[in-house]
Amino acid sequence: MSKINTVSHSSPQNSKKTYFQRLIQGIWKNRGIYMILLPVLLWYILFQYVPMAGLQLAFKDYKVNLGIWGSPWSGFKHFNRLFSNPRFFNSVLLTLRINIGRLFITFPFPIILALLLNELRMNRYKRTLQTIFTFPNFLSWVVVTGITINVLSFDGLVNSLIRVFGGTPVSFIGNESLFIPLVFATEVWKSAGWGSIIYLAAMAGIDPGLYEASDIDGATRIQKIIYITLPSILPTVTVMFILATGNIMKKGFEQVFNLSNPAVRNVSEILDVYIYNITFRAVPNFGYSTALSLFRSVVNLFFLVIANAGSKWLTGSGLFGMEENQNE
Amino acid sequence: MNKKRKIDKIDIIVFIVLTMWGLSILIPFVNVLAVSFSTQKEYLETPLLLWPKKPTLENYAALFRNGRILIGYRTTLQLIGIALPVNLFLTICAAYGLSRKGYPGRKLFMKFVVFTMLFSGGIIPLYLTVRSYGLIGSLWGVALSTGLNTFYMIIMLNFFASLPDSLIESAKLDGAGEYTIMFRIILPLSKAVLATVTLYYLVDRWNEWYHAMIMIRDTAKTPLQVILRSIILDSQLLDEVVTESVDIFSFSDGLKMGSIVVVMLPVMCVFPFLQKHFVKGVLIGAIKA
Repeated sequence: MSKINTVSHSSPQNSKKTYFQRLIQGIWKNRGIYMILLPVLLWYILFQYVPMAGLQLAFKDYKVNLGIWGSPWSGFKHFNRLFSNPRFFNSVLLTLRINIGRLFITFPFPIILALLLNELRMNRYKRTLQTIFTFPNFLSWVVVTGITINVLSFDGLVNSLIRVFGGTPVSFIGNESLFIPLVFATEVWKSAGWGSIIYLAAMAGIDPGLYEASDIDGATRIQKIIYITLPSILPTVTVMFILATGNIMKKGFEQVFNLSNPAVRNVSEILDVYIYNITFRAVPNFGYSTALSLFRSVVNLFFLVIANAGSKWLTGSGLFGMEENQNE
Repeated sequence: MNKKRKIDKIDIIVFIVLTMWGLSILIPFVNVLAVSFSTQKEYLETPLLLWPKKPTLENYAALFRNGRILIGYRTTLQLIGIALPVNLFLTICAAYGLSRKGYPGRKLFMKFVVFTMLFSGGIIPLYLTVRSYGLIGSLWGVALSTGLNTFYMIIMLNFFASLPDSLIESAKLDGAGEYTIMFRIILPLSKAVLATVTLYYLVDRWNEWYHAMIMIRDTAKTPLQVILRSIILDSQLLDEVVTESVDIFSFSDGLKMGSIVVVMLPVMCVFPFLQKHFVKGVLIGAIKA
């Protein structure tokens, strides 16, 4: 269909044409690609950019009959209310506490797991274990929460064990001081195995010659882990850490929302849960909720920009560097 | 590399730690299964229930008599039927279009896509937008708002971009259009990445919960995960608040665990066989990182 155009692509008169003519020609020649991208473009506009434009509601009083665009402007009213609301500040602090906590507490677990698996020499057992470790990642948080509650309830497995050893049963689920540790623990339980795969792949790429040379030098296994394995996976660790930084404002809604219950309300209302609670569990004020949404998106963008700068500084390429990679 | 060596202390420590870790994942599943096959009486009387002495199917019978799980199954399958083709179509088109080079606007389109990874409207504007399209209460609303996952698209894009350009060039010389190239040449060579991305979408739609909870209020059209949530969690809350209310179906622990088993069973059955396809996505993504 575009055969003629393709053939005439490098004909000499090309250079005589103006930029505009060449642009038109380029567009016409590639019209097949645009046709393929058209539905994608439409989807991005309708379900990403139109909602983004909907963020203007943060500065408006939403009226159902007038819609997003027709509602009257109200200035910074919602933000004034927002920034004088202690519940909002609590939710922001809690979000930071939980998600920065993840960076230091749950983040190392996949690395530890990968190191252990890498040292395990029984290959069939290793494969079986890996299946077990990665499986929970593909369950929803609803299921994982159900399992957690079952195991940790008063009549559950853990409390039965405590009783067998003569202790007093603990309320794990409805205990404010245990809620955040529970968030970390369930995260490790669900995702550490899946997270370890990328590190195992990095370890598989290490030159075996390094280990052989260190054998000759009489290095112990621990020394090999510290001086060969860990430094070799450090770039991967850095990238994963930076990626995790970019999620500080976003992560954890499904987990925290499902794990929470009225008894732990004070330590479970992270920003996203707060947005949900005031919008879908109360009489909604969409302007106010949107102001929250906008705050969340802007702060998250801020973290992503920092993460991206960190990535460029440490690894030489940004997190979203595929456009450069593909264009060389 | 795997020379026969003596088993040393580290081998034993590694073996023990990994086995314990594995058991800490496995035992909760065994417990869930055991409880689902036990009567409430046995559950309360037996500490450390890992194997029911008198297995009963009563919980599963009650679950299907109640019928909500079946509604959930039906809805989730409908959702997959609607959403999966949408997801795949958009992902393939985007990945193919962006893997092609040297046409005006490519960079701009890439920026347009990447920007949505950096900044998004968030759930409230999305909800209001979908409402303005009249799609609240419809599975189409859920399906279309999940549309395309940019991360999965990039996995596919990385794969397409790794295929040799000469394939496309020679097809063009033969007079093939872009659609023909995409469907006849690129996709048949990309079965591995297609399988991976399809599985990711399948699991995501199977686990679909948040959008559905917000957008669909009609109890006859709620997907599986939303129903599971109300069986496990809401009844937990109801226990505390209104224990004596007659019209509330009382869920025993066995029944709750039975519903968990029913929901995770499909994933559990296929996962061990398809594990390598799941892993592939990470590895293709990792080439870029």
